[in-house]
Amino acid sequence: MTHARFTRRQFLAAAAATAGALAIGRPARAKGSVTAAMYPGTWEEAFRAHVVPALKSAHDVDLEMTPLFAVDQIAKAQAARGAPPFDAFVLDPGPRVTGIDRGLFEKFEARRLKNVGRLPAGMVDDWGVTVAAQVVGIGYNPKKLPRPKSWTDLLKDPWVSRLGMTGFQTTYGTVSIIEIAKQFGGSETNVEPFFVEIKKVLSKVAAIGAPASMPALFQQGQCDITYTNTQTVATLRGRDVDIEFVKPESGAVAFFTTMHVAKGSREGENAYKYFDTVISAPVQSALMQPPNNFIPVNRDVKLAAALPMASLDEMAKFVRHDWSKINPLRAAWIERFNKEVAK
Amino acid sequence: MRAKDLSYSVVIGLLAGLGFLILIGPVVIVLLTSFTQGRSIRFPPSGLSLQWYQLLFDSVRSSQIHRAALNSLEVAVVAMVGATVLATLASVALARRSGTWVRALDTFFMSPLILPMLAFGLAALMYFTFMGFRPSLALIAIGHVVVVAPLALRTTSASMSQLDPALLESSASLGASWLYTFRRVTLPVIAPGIAAGAFLAFVGSLDNVPISLFLAGPRSDMLPIRMWGMMESTLDVRVAAVSGVLIATVLVLMLVMERVVGLTRRLRD
Amino acid sequence: MTVRVRPAEWQLALPLALAYAAFFLVPLLLLIGVSAFDDEKITTLGFAQWRRFLADPFTWKVIVDTVKLGGLTVAATALVGYPVALVYLGAGPRWQRVILFVVILPLLTSVVVRTFAWIVILGREGVINQALLWLGLAPAPLRLLQTEHGLVMALTQIEMPLLLLPLLSVMSRMDPSLRDASAALGASKWRTLVRVTLPLSLPGLVAGCMLVFASSTTAFISQFVIGGNRLVYLPLLIWQQSLVVYNWPLASVAALTLLVSVGLGVTAIAAVGRRSRAYAV
Repeated sequence: MTHARFTRRQFLAAAAATAGALAIGRPARAKGSVTAAMYPGTWEEAFRAHVVPALKSAHDVDLEMTPLFAVDQIAKAQAARGAPPFDAFVLDPGPRVTGIDRGLFEKFEARRLKNVGRLPAGMVDDWGVTVAAQVVGIGYNPKKLPRPKSWTDLLKDPWVSRLGMTGFQTTYGTVSIIEIAKQFGGSETNVEPFFVEIKKVLSKVAAIGAPASMPALFQQGQCDITYTNTQTVATLRGRDVDIEFVKPESGAVAFFTTMHVAKGSREGENAYKYFDTVISAPVQSALMQPPNNFIPVNRDVKLAAALPMASLDEMAKFVRHDWSKINPLRAAWIERFNKEVAK
Repeated sequence: MRAKDLSYSVVIGLLAGLGFLILIGPVVIVLLTSFTQGRSIRFPPSGLSLQWYQLLFDSVRSSQIHRAALNSLEVAVVAMVGATVLATLASVALARRSGTWVRALDTFFMSPLILPMLAFGLAALMYFTFMGFRPSLALIAIGHVVVVAPLALRTTSASMSQLDPALLESSASLGASWLYTFRRVTLPVIAPGIAAGAFLAFVGSLDNVPISLFLAGPRSDMLPIRMWGMMESTLDVRVAAVSGVLIATVLVLMLVMERVVGLTRRLRD
Repeated sequence: MTVRVRPAEWQLALPLALAYAAFFLVPLLLLIGVSAFDDEKITTLGFAQWRRFLADPFTWKVIVDTVKLGGLTVAATALVGYPVALVYLGAGPRWQRVILFVVILPLLTSVVVRTFAWIVILGREGVINQALLWLGLAPAPLRLLQTEHGLVMALTQIEMPLLLLPLLSVMSRMDPSLRDASAALGASKWRTLVRVTLPLSLPGLVAGCMLVFASSTTAFISQFVIGGNRLVYLPLLIWQQSLVVYNWPLASVAALTLLVSVGLGVTAIAAVGRRSRAYAV
């Protein structure tokens, strides 16, 4: 009995010591540092591999990343009003407009970026700087389906019965639905035709899922066609998933991913150094290579053959959307989508 | 009557078999997937290999996962200890009492379980920020204690209700102090409930996404959030391998404990 | 004598009560406060969000569906979980440890990868469908993924440890001589189950059912990833409102609605437990 109690006490002491050691053994914070919100997964891995060392060698600034999706960044910054939990945002256009609307960004000073001249026109404004482009179109499994041509094919046989859909929660989902609506007479601010058309085929649609589950659903053959962006397709192809990207006849959709300084950030200076490093030609070029598959925004980067365009200027021909018009309508669309697809 | 007993065995046997199948099936799929030779998570796996476990244990290429795993373990241990101690004390206080206020208090203690964690995480972040705290591991641990304490409370209370009040009273009437009674009478009866509760609290914290999402800062990266990103964007097989490691660890711990318990029993005899 | 013991005992609830007051009650009050604003930017007081939310028939369908999901999951989990507990009760110590390990297995696979496993099992080309086709039980693949049936099946696995851990900890302290006596007196196994085992294990079963109900109705990730967008439950609305459109007043309204409706469900389970215990004694 005494034996048992003795060992138990020893065990507790050891456990306490371990916990203490874990708490103390933290690296000290370096002098120059910036904390950036970062999309988890591909983005974070790519930034860790290329941006962290580049920023360190060019400016002696340490980059700390906090993995958050765009929507979570806005929520966190808003909840922590005035005391932002990170210095820099990375956002898609929808959350970007919300961030501007809710006053979450510091005013952006483009002249503080050395590389700003290398960006095509319109890539920097009073709120932030564009760091990557995203091109949205159709992804399908060529082993199981014939090649689709247009957005409307998604709602026709044989594709519709293999279609995997997501709602308006994501930027790529929203722009794709808008494009489908346009083919049936709708517009950027009117997705009613989409709801009319989808209702006719709803029972055939293979999956209406959470955005996070789409890669797994596709991989396991639950759906064989979906709307998606080139980066996702390239990443999944790199992992041996049977998926191919198609630019719809009416044109692929392009949108930009932007970075912003969080309101109240005390590391503004380092945030600009960070942005400047991200848009620099060597970093942009490295981010373009597999397995990262970013679409660069720096003119000095020689575009890879796999990209859906030969030059950055071609992007002007892609379909663009005005998110300041879309955002106010999104809540109602989401509600409508819930009601239409719920059985 | 024997025919009735046969029907009992068949019905209970079939249902329990189904239960075991449901418990084990998905885990087998995860384990098989983790041994794939392929480059992404897929079932059935293409060929068998240990490459993803090798990658998972690679201290350079998986360093971020290791850091997140250490953070998660640290928080889970703190949350488990905090929740178990608080919940055990409370369950002793509430046991075998009735009355409106006891029931109200019990409902209050259970309420974090039914408040959606997403909403609690958001509210907790607003509150902590207002108080002047920055997101950190400590805040995550506090948030986790709140949401896992009901798990510990429920299992401990369930065991508590088996305690015969006559035992406590006779112990007290024999002059035993409260603490002595607790250690020698109460604790042995409720120990399985406490252990079950502590385990639920530990894994509840280890696997929590919503609270960690809101209360995590740049240096408090948590494992489930990291795994979420890996699964969503790259179908990384290491996500499955993490489960394989966890299962193996618990299996080994249970075997060791069985040895130790068996050993102490023999020493005692 | 009892007077000497009891006052000390009640004070033991204080640490948890204080911790909850500081770290749970205040955030909860914050939510209630936020729900009392009309606009997304939280500037104008009013109950417009409450009115709008509760006046929408769709809301009520979602509330009913959410509670129904919890009820079905509790029923399914208890139906297969209780027999597992009975097998545990009849097993020797070594097998009991094996069963315990199997019971906690679902908790050791992270929610992230568990949902993947269910896609594999329930999918169109999944394990169940392939088995059915091979056995000739179905002419074409059944739709299981993103249906209520499939979701309940997946939740049964995920929630079973929550049912079984309290149940097994109660059962392991039950006096086996009572069951032996019942058998010796010639009672059938069914009768022993209903008259002896079930009443004695009731506290564990009720505790487990409460945990399962609360956990399955609020399990956002499992609901959304396995259930998909065709099944709409309250946690999905909370997520959409708080993290996609940032209408926090409405998100708070939905969260409090979930709190109340699930709270009622849990209270009902507790009441059934109390009542049946009264009958059993």
